Amino acid sequence: MLSIKNLEAGYGKVQVLHGISMEVPKGKVVTLIGSNGAGKTTTMRAISGMISPTAGEISLNGKRTDGMESFTIAKLGLAHSPEGRRVFATMSVTDNLILGAFPRLTGSRPKGDVQGDLERAMELFPRLKERRNQLAGTLSGGEQQMLAMARAVMLNPEIVLLDEPSMGLAPILVEEVFRIIADLKSRGVTMLLVEQFAAAALKVADYGYVLENGRISVHGNAAQLQNDPAVKAAYLGGGH
Amino acid sequence: MLSLVVFLALLAAAPLYTSNPYYIHMIGTIMIYAILLFGLDIVVGYTGQVSLGHAGLFGVGSYTAGVMFMKLGAPLWLIIPASVCVTAAFGALLALPALRVTGPYLAMVTLAFGTIIQILINEMTFLTEGPLGIKVPKPDLFGAKLTEHEFYWLVLALMALSLVVVDRILRSQLGRAFEALRGSPVASDCMGVSVYRYKVYAFVISAGFAGLSGCLYAYSEQYISPNTYNFELTVLFLLAVIMGGRKTRSGAMLGAAIIVILPKLLDDLEMFRQVSSVLAVLMLVGAIVAIAKKITTPRAMAIPVVGTLALAAFSFWLQSITDWRLSIFGLMILFVVYYLQDGIVGFFRKLTSRKTSRGEAYHAPSDAKDAITVAASASGKEVGGELLIAKSVLMQFGGLKALNDVDLRIQRGTIHGLIGPNGSGKSTMMNVLTGIYVPTAGSIEFCGRSVVERSSADIALSGIARTFQNVQLFGEMTALQNVQVGLHHTFNSNLLDVALNTPRYQREDESAIARGMGLLNFVGLADLAGEEARNLPYGKQRLLEIARALALDPQLLLLDEPAAGLTAPDIKELIAIIRKIRDHGITVILIEHHMDVVMNVCDAVSVLDFGQKIAEGKPAEVQANEKVIEAYLGAPAA
Amino acid sequence: MEILLQLVYSGIALGMIYAVIAFGYQLTFQTSDTLNFGQGDALMLGAMVGLTLVNHGVNYWVMLPLVIVFGMLQGAVVERIGVQPAIKIKSEFGWIMSTIALGIIFKNVAENVWGRDDLKFPSPLPEAPMQFLGANVLPMEVLVVVGAVLMMLGVEFFNRKTIYGKAVVATFNDRDAAKLMGINTGLVITFSYALSSATAGFAGALIAPLTLTGATMGSVLGLKAFAVAIIGGLTSGLGIIVGGIILGIAETTTGFYISTGYKDVPGLVLLLMVLALKPAGLFGKTAIKKV
Repeated sequence: MLSIKNLEAGYGKVQVLHGISMEVPKGKVVTLIGSNGAGKTTTMRAISGMISPTAGEISLNGKRTDGMESFTIAKLGLAHSPEGRRVFATMSVTDNLILGAFPRLTGSRPKGDVQGDLERAMELFPRLKERRNQLAGTLSGGEQQMLAMARAVMLNPEIVLLDEPSMGLAPILVEEVFRIIADLKSRGVTMLLVEQFAAAALKVADYGYVLENGRISVHGNAAQLQNDPAVKAAYLGGGH
Repeated sequence: MLSLVVFLALLAAAPLYTSNPYYIHMIGTIMIYAILLFGLDIVVGYTGQVSLGHAGLFGVGSYTAGVMFMKLGAPLWLIIPASVCVTAAFGALLALPALRVTGPYLAMVTLAFGTIIQILINEMTFLTEGPLGIKVPKPDLFGAKLTEHEFYWLVLALMALSLVVVDRILRSQLGRAFEALRGSPVASDCMGVSVYRYKVYAFVISAGFAGLSGCLYAYSEQYISPNTYNFELTVLFLLAVIMGGRKTRSGAMLGAAIIVILPKLLDDLEMFRQVSSVLAVLMLVGAIVAIAKKITTPRAMAIPVVGTLALAAFSFWLQSITDWRLSIFGLMILFVVYYLQDGIVGFFRKLTSRKTSRGEAYHAPSDAKDAITVAASASGKEVGGELLIAKSVLMQFGGLKALNDVDLRIQRGTIHGLIGPNGSGKSTMMNVLTGIYVPTAGSIEFCGRSVVERSSADIALSGIARTFQNVQLFGEMTALQNVQVGLHHTFNSNLLDVALNTPRYQREDESAIARGMGLLNFVGLADLAGEEARNLPYGKQRLLEIARALALDPQLLLLDEPAAGLTAPDIKELIAIIRKIRDHGITVILIEHHMDVVMNVCDAVSVLDFGQKIAEGKPAEVQANEKVIEAYLGAPAA
Repeated sequence: MEILLQLVYSGIALGMIYAVIAFGYQLTFQTSDTLNFGQGDALMLGAMVGLTLVNHGVNYWVMLPLVIVFGMLQGAVVERIGVQPAIKIKSEFGWIMSTIALGIIFKNVAENVWGRDDLKFPSPLPEAPMQFLGANVLPMEVLVVVGAVLMMLGVEFFNRKTIYGKAVVATFNDRDAAKLMGINTGLVITFSYALSSATAGFAGALIAPLTLTGATMGSVLGLKAFAVAIIGGLTSGLGIIVGGIILGIAETTTGFYISTGYKDVPGLVLLLMVLALKPAGLFGKTAIKKV
């Protein structure tokens, strides 16, 4: 569904990605792991259009999307829950979720049953249901992460990009987040998950890519990667 | 230099060619405006602030002269310095509150100031005669009244003097400080150049020139009244600076000529029609040529071509152009802002493609390696002992505890690593140590003094220097100049020393160049000294930041992810340099994600996670620590 | 005492005008970190266009929505020509100078089309003052207050209840995240400029019958309204209403008790003081720098 070929991207003079290639098949969960500064978030941003790649191809369902504006890519069905959550702080939880369905409500995507999806999202994320009228800026880190993920799902997307959902969360909340990811997986949602915490990510994913200094160093079935010493070396050095 | 002398000589000879007082007066006005624009360029061109109040300062200069003449009968040699000083004082009065804000806020404040000045001049009739205005005859000098020609030469002399002084200021450490605070205010503060203070200096200096200009204007016009010093005049001054070309003296003079001659041109409809038709044709031809040569696209050229054609057509339809003067100025501003960002002078300089390396040849002094040694021994400190003690530091942003009860002790003469996953608080710690954030609670002592609540510039000058995660160089300045900003603290010369080029200033300037080259040599950038920082490859930019930080003679150097984005050979070089720094006696705190660098070079490592310290010790111990592994890789999930 | 109360009423009406202009500054600043230095001239154009329509026989109440539409077009033009290119090249200096330039051009055009003299705007309401709490109030002054409040409430309603309004608020909050929702933030910015000029134009048509209408009426108004916007911290709606009223009353009382020449001074001094002492405004929040 999502296909990336020889992607190069960076910020101004700094080139972060030096040609990476990945595939996310429909209905699967693929994870991209690696230490900080390796280029994971840069990859996500290039895919969702927040930055423009300098070279390479990105295709969503066969349609080339590299170089498009992020709002156009969103309308094609790519939902991105960004690093740092980025919820709309002065708006309520409900409003945040409704905005997730913006393209559906304004004719860019098939409308479907927005109200129904809203209720279902509340069931999936009980903490949000309790706080439906609360301002998003007053939620805790974990609750904001849930909100960002729910908001992404409200698009009724083809694929969801989850960028470091565990960042800054206490271990208990991290567990809950990954439980939800597993639940979404069981509902057939296609996901690309970028994580700093390799262990949890590899447990929930079908396939994994390891990013080191802007290049894919290792990739394979998630189960196999879990025990691969190359993964540990990518994070903590020693092994070079 | 030669062209300037020739030009000035021509100007001086002008009265001998034409005895028509109209032209003499016009050139005189151009020179008077040029004086103001030299000063305005410092604020707008160098420090990058928009001032909408300079017409007001100009008015203060004029009215100081007018009032002193009318009420006190003061002589010229008293009035000129008085105008300069009074206007500078007004400039300070405005700058001290105003320059705490930037951008649109500053623009609005200066606009308010200019408007208030105009109102005060208009209303305080007991002093200024209000709307009636003040008559100011030509001044007496040495007992005799100056003739038109003699006054012209006086103005010329003062303009030449202003030009030299402004030029000297801008080439000195003051000029570098002005450019630095525009390039990167954060870096500027952290190099000991207080952004606020230097913005105020720039403003006050420009006010002084505005005062001189205003004073001469009063004598030149021989009559002053409040409605001259209005918003339109201020906008005209800004147009002159940006159209002529910022950061150049010739640009200021060209701009002055444009804004004086243009209204006269616009009064003559016939001439305007001819000029605009020629302009439209030139633009059309130029656009066709440029598109054919593939320098630009039809789309980009559409607006200028259509615009000039429309202007020409419009001029034929009109009966009088005078009423549309302001619209013409408005259109010119729009044009310059989007198509001629460097002004006319800048455009021509680019066209003749002057090399960006500033041409001056630098050679590394043979005793270059002393650059750091000099610094280290100058700090005069003993080895061993604790250099920095941070206790229970809490940094809270709203509900988020970025740093939660962190203790950190740094031993003198060591390289101390600070690591942890994303969001663990490492950069926050850096910012707290350098005064960018004030900690919510806790104490931080450096060399026995508390760091908390002191300004970044103050902290930098007391011995803590840093580099930045996102490179914060002064892009438009050369490598050497960047380092020289770090050397700002070595200058004791003040404005007077710079303006008069005293021996003290010359000594300090030479010594700064020598030390700067020495520091560049230390990081291996000596042969790139004349390159603009923004053109350097990324790896070299990071090294330049280190050289600049070392110029502060620090006892503690904070390196924020220096290896980020570097290739393997660059990283080797970086490690070698960090070791050399430590060997010279400077203590280093290193934030890094590249574990190889950390393990290789650090004497001790502290690990942060969620704003708390979870481990500390020798690199190998920390690498094997269970908690650390878990923090980075995550626990095997439930 | 009666005079003072009258001055207070006039001050409130004047203050509401400042608040509406300030509201326009907030709108564009929140979505794009830019504002229109020609905002006062947008007000003036609204008044002048309104005057022309009314002089051609258009009913005042019909004229008001027409002026709003005109304002939206004018705002969109300012944004496309002056602001969008500057945002693209990330030049703060760019949009400051170009909105100033556009303001100058509009003013000059107005001078040429409508002349340089001040004109009388016929009042749609009876000019006889009413009595309220023992002092005189002009019906028009009441209309101004009502109109301004309705306008601001209308925008609030739009922001809270419609999906497009929510998209605008989302853009205030986080431009990048809004784009990820499929919101075309460039259009949102254009829209906020359109709305900002429309509110200014509307304010102009409201205040025109109360004061002299001419090409220069906008300039100083725009500057003083900025002071009010700053007091509100560029983010708080309540702040600008409070700030506007304080300024309006300060001006009417200064104009009466001291001298009309000095009546602009309180606003300007207020601007200087607020920026010197608390740049984030009395109601706003300071932003935290991140390096």
